[in-house]
Amino acid sequence: MIYSTELIKGTLKTIVLKLLADNKKMYGYEITQRVKELTFDKIQISEGALYPTLHALESEGLLVTEVEYIGKRVRKYYSLSPSGKSKSKEKLSELADFIETMKLLLDLKVKTA
Amino acid sequence: MYCITDEQVDFILDDIRRNGIEMEDLQLNLLDHICCIIEQNLEDDGDFEGFYRKTVRQFYKKELREIEAETIQLLTFKNYYAMRKTMIVSGLVSVMAFVTGSLFKWMHWPGASVLLVLGIAIFSFLFLPLMLTLKIRESGSKRDKLVVTSATITGLLYCMACLFTIQHWPGANVLWFSTVIVSFFVMIPIYFFTGIRKPEAKVNTIITSTMLVAATGFLFLMLNTRPSYKMHEVKMYSWLQSEQLLQRMQGANTDTDKLAADINRICMQIKSLVLQNAIGMSAMPDDFEKKGIFMKESNTGPAFMDAKSKGTRLISELKEKIEQYNAQHSTAPIPVAHTALDAPDDMVGRYSNYTILNTITQLQLYVASAPHTLVATK
Repeated sequence: MIYSTELIKGTLKTIVLKLLADNKKMYGYEITQRVKELTFDKIQISEGALYPTLHALESEGLLVTEVEYIGKRVRKYYSLSPSGKSKSKEKLSELADFIETMKLLLDLKVKTA
Repeated sequence: MYCITDEQVDFILDDIRRNGIEMEDLQLNLLDHICCIIEQNLEDDGDFEGFYRKTVRQFYKKELREIEAETIQLLTFKNYYAMRKTMIVSGLVSVMAFVTGSLFKWMHWPGASVLLVLGIAIFSFLFLPLMLTLKIRESGSKRDKLVVTSATITGLLYCMACLFTIQHWPGANVLWFSTVIVSFFVMIPIYFFTGIRKPEAKVNTIITSTMLVAATGFLFLMLNTRPSYKMHEVKMYSWLQSEQLLQRMQGANTDTDKLAADINRICMQIKSLVLQNAIGMSAMPDDFEKKGIFMKESNTGPAFMDAKSKGTRLISELKEKIEQYNAQHSTAPIPVAHTALDAPDDMVGRYSNYTILNTITQLQLYVASAPHTLVATK
């Protein structure tokens, strides 16, 4: 099952922030691949959603960038700024709380592994 | 792993640009992303262009430009906070400038006009437009947007009308009438018919609409009860007749009194300052009716604003001369008690143009009709 874009959209910022908190610095393609890998292809972040989010996070001051030249092209690496680090914790706990609430609300039986 | 050549990199970049991605940052990100996909997934001897087309096609729903549009939308949402902050600060600054400006105006301190113009300008051209932009973004339906827009336009007109009235700029009346018309025929109907449809807002809409109608009605009444054209006209002809009388008496006059001549000279200067402010000319031309020149009752303008202004200095000079004159002609002094000349220097600016003009002309009439002059003529 591949999740709908509506579901992904609300959590994309949190996903990006969490990945960067775990992986120091990453570039766009790497992020999409890592998400695919970690979720066994169930979550596939579209390019059309990822890059606007990355730019927004950067302009909010949560991400800092550095560039690397690969032949004629430029690769932009993203990493968390100090405020991004605290924001990622905040966002994570918010989402965790949200998931708990959704379980309650929708009366989901969550299988515990 | 496929190896992308420099030409192919140029080709991709060119294609991204052609498809409407203008932000350089985004171009570079997409370029690298596409290159990565191609390098990872295309066979060494695969069809580059075909694979490229297929890859890019997965990036969007209708066209590639969507990504840029989405980015811009997210970026402007970030400006929301900056805009809201600017709105609050500009609102505070304009209100403060307006309140201090009003106080200064009331006390006749210098700088009142600057503060008032600044206050109203910031309010009208920074605060109101920002509020409109933010409110439009918040409001869901088209009708709500229309309500906010019409209310902002009415507010803007109201502010401008106030400003023009305070500053005695021409066109204030037209602005007041526009405010009343827009408020009554555009804003209130839109507001009323939008609100009345929502059950939860019904009562509030009726109350607010009634108050708005009342407020607009009062505004309209005040416009109507303002001194009419006719009243200004009577004032103007009353003064002009005094002037004609003066000219007749001066024509028959052969007085050589130095002091009287000085007084007349200063009087002429004061009158020309007042006229300059009211009609833009230093004297009322003989054919003023033909030229359509009309003088309304208003204030005397910047030349009489405070004790240091040119007009005010002339008036205090005039007072000295009159004292000397009255000392010499104790049998027929010029009465100044209870006239504009009796007031302290810093109060002179509070009199209207007609009050000053009439006072000065009457003073000249006294000089022209003094008994010793009449004797001399005989």
